[in-house]
Amino acid sequence: MKVTIDNLTKKFGDVVGVEDLTLHIDDGEFVAFLGPSGCGKTTTLLTLAGIYKPTEGQIRFGERVVNQVQPKDRNIGMVFQSYALYPHMTVFQNIAYPLKLKKVAKNIQHERVEQVANVMGIGNLLDRRPGQLSGGQQQRVALGRALVKEPDVLLFDEPLSNLDARLRLTMRGEIKHLQKDLGITSIYVTHDQVEAMTMADRIAVMNGGHLQAFDAPDELYSRPKTQFVAGFVGNPPMNFVSVEVSRSNGRFVAETDLLRLEVGGDRGEGAAGYNGAVVMGIRPEDIQISGAGDIAGEIFIVEPLGREDLIDVRVGPHSFLLLASTETQYQAGEGVKLKFDMEKVQFFDPQTEKSILWQQ
Amino acid sequence: MTLRGALFDRAKIKPDEVSASVQQDLIEALRLGLISILILLLAAFLFSGVIGPLFALGSVEETVTDVLTRLALLALPFVAYIAAASVARRYTWSDTSKALGLALTSTIVLFLLISVGAYAFDYGVFAPRPSLQMTLSQTEAGIRVEAIVPGGAAETAEMQVGDVITAIRRDAVDLAAFNLRLSQSEEDAPLRLRFLRGDEEMQETVRVAIVSDKQIRALLPGLVIALVFTVVIVFLPGQWAPYIALIGLLTPLLIGYFWVIIATFSYRTEGLVPLDSKDNFGGFTLENWESIFVGNIAGLEFNIWPILMTSLSIAVIMTFAVLLVSSMAGYALSRMNFPGRRFFLSFTLILHGFPAITLLIPIFIVLLRLRGIPLIGQHIGFNTAGGIAMVMVAFQLPLGVWLMKGFFDNIPWDMERSALIDGASRWRTYWEILLPQIRPGLLALGIFAFIGGWNAYIIPATYSIGTGLSNLPVFLNELIDETAPVDWNQVAAVGLFQLIPIFIFFIFAQEYLLNIYAGGTKGSS
Repeated sequence: MKVTIDNLTKKFGDVVGVEDLTLHIDDGEFVAFLGPSGCGKTTTLLTLAGIYKPTEGQIRFGERVVNQVQPKDRNIGMVFQSYALYPHMTVFQNIAYPLKLKKVAKNIQHERVEQVANVMGIGNLLDRRPGQLSGGQQQRVALGRALVKEPDVLLFDEPLSNLDARLRLTMRGEIKHLQKDLGITSIYVTHDQVEAMTMADRIAVMNGGHLQAFDAPDELYSRPKTQFVAGFVGNPPMNFVSVEVSRSNGRFVAETDLLRLEVGGDRGEGAAGYNGAVVMGIRPEDIQISGAGDIAGEIFIVEPLGREDLIDVRVGPHSFLLLASTETQYQAGEGVKLKFDMEKVQFFDPQTEKSILWQQ
Repeated sequence: MTLRGALFDRAKIKPDEVSASVQQDLIEALRLGLISILILLLAAFLFSGVIGPLFALGSVEETVTDVLTRLALLALPFVAYIAAASVARRYTWSDTSKALGLALTSTIVLFLLISVGAYAFDYGVFAPRPSLQMTLSQTEAGIRVEAIVPGGAAETAEMQVGDVITAIRRDAVDLAAFNLRLSQSEEDAPLRLRFLRGDEEMQETVRVAIVSDKQIRALLPGLVIALVFTVVIVFLPGQWAPYIALIGLLTPLLIGYFWVIIATFSYRTEGLVPLDSKDNFGGFTLENWESIFVGNIAGLEFNIWPILMTSLSIAVIMTFAVLLVSSMAGYALSRMNFPGRRFFLSFTLILHGFPAITLLIPIFIVLLRLRGIPLIGQHIGFNTAGGIAMVMVAFQLPLGVWLMKGFFDNIPWDMERSALIDGASRWRTYWEILLPQIRPGLLALGIFAFIGGWNAYIIPATYSIGTGLSNLPVFLNELIDETAPVDWNQVAAVGLFQLIPIFIFFIFAQEYLLNIYAGGTKGSS
């Protein structure tokens, strides 16, 4: 089922939840809404579910305009962060509830519930009550309940936030696999950019009620259209530093009081057109500690991540996060030289925060 | 000192370094005792010297401050002994003799101190007491006057040594009864004594005098009590303390219940002791209960079953009406946003605190007018079950609405949204998803409403005429009003009869109330 959101605005009194959101989601696509708390992603999701009515704009499921359609008539399934299982019903009754409301015959209900429960690996828990289940099991029940009525659209509201880290990893894979298998159009709200990157076909990055970008994960990563997207997508986050880019002798140079970096031609050209400072962004993996580097800094903190070390290097007032191999044992306070991969830097307009390199 | 050093130093403290020498402990015990004495004296002064006079300034007559003062002074020595013994309790199980010695020493010191205070201020055992100012002794013939204080009350009344007192007025007395009677008399109260002088029976009226009577030996029983009390405190396991306090507070209540139960099964009671016609223990009977079902108590004829049914229907109707309206209103107030919601909420709270009794007369007028409306008037007006039910439900609603709103507030929004998305209508969500989750709340409110309806007196009594609509409490009042002399054992039986359904109801409901619901949600919503 295609889901089309056109110029959606949702206000609560004077408070704007989402403003002028336009998204076209293809049939069978897995889309993640990514953004910090309060960015409007859950509001959008609940508007899609029909819990909220749009203030302005239009939502279409396929060709049907659903603005005024009640949630129960939208044929959607939803998984909540809190799971929202019905505590007074058994697992079986929980999963069967949507079917019961659809007035499906009892024997078919049984068949369907057992089928779904087996797919979810909770076939042996049907007589239990939600209170007797672990978090992961509750999550599966919630997913089963959302799936049992074969919804046209599946909505996920941060479904993995309450699970422990290990289980989250497992469930992440399972949900993605299930979604691909069933081919149900899915919308997944999360503030965890790793979840969004790993699961989604496309990510809608939102901030302050506005859509920042809507693109495939690797596209978002390598060609961020706004500074917010650049900073939000990627872990550890991108380093930002304010520089002035100028052309000298046919080369482009990015400068601050302490740094002087040569920029590759295609990236430098756009930035050099700007009068005054621009924001330069560089990802941690694009900075190396190297004897051949030309920027001297001092190590402030070393955070071992196991596979590599996350190192915070201070260059004057600027702080750069970078990743270094664990083979060299760096110590806090140690002086190092940095080498920036200037082919991968991003430039943003400091006023509009839009990318200078990738115009929309 | 470094953080590390600070942490380390504490860990180095050994147990025996904490324990102090005996002198130090004794001083600490006495200090604690003294502090508690001072605090209670201050409290007593506050009640009698500050708050009491303030009330008096406003011409308010009250005995509360007086009672509190007496209570503080009564508790004073015991609190002091407990405070002092608390130091000794540290050694109860490690060094029992030290604990006992410490506690008893401090108790004796504190006892002496308190006694000196009592002596100085004419308080407690040294307080002036009612006296007839003559020495008496019990003989076989009666109470013999052994000596008379010159110029005292007895001499004024022309009593003589050798008189044998037999009675006060017409009540025969022995020495114990005489002293009891005397101790309860006020100053200048006349006691008409019957006595034998020689063989002649005579009467004299002696006026009670209040005399200071400072006898040191009166302290002895007090000291014994103090020492025993201290020993008990020293050995009392700490975890018993809450139970002892609980039992102490519950005892008056329990005695009341015991009396009601005993009284219903006996002809007559003296305190808690059932007595027969000859004042001997016994006299058990089922007559009190029998007459309820026979329908005749001291000539008042009635049929208990319609009365019971009225009570029951008021309670049941009220329970259902209150539950239905409260839960729906509570749901709306919890979940929906509409103009006037905040006002309605605060107004409900005010209504809950409003003394409903003051509305009796205006509501009476309203019900009277309602009676005049054709058709409906016969069901909801004055002197109808519907009218009574309506008023009683209305009085119960503010509490119910608030309670229900609170319970609904605790159900995460996601639960409701989930049900709506699963395909339920709003009504069905309320009925199938939300109501089952607030079952403990519904039960609690249901019990409140049921008991409220079952015990309802003032509203049924006010808005109904005649016995046609009277329920058990109204009948109970009728029973007291219309029988003379009132047979209280009979009244107790009707009271206990009224309690039975509540008792049964409670036994079943309690299990549900204690059943804490296992939740199916995790995290916030």
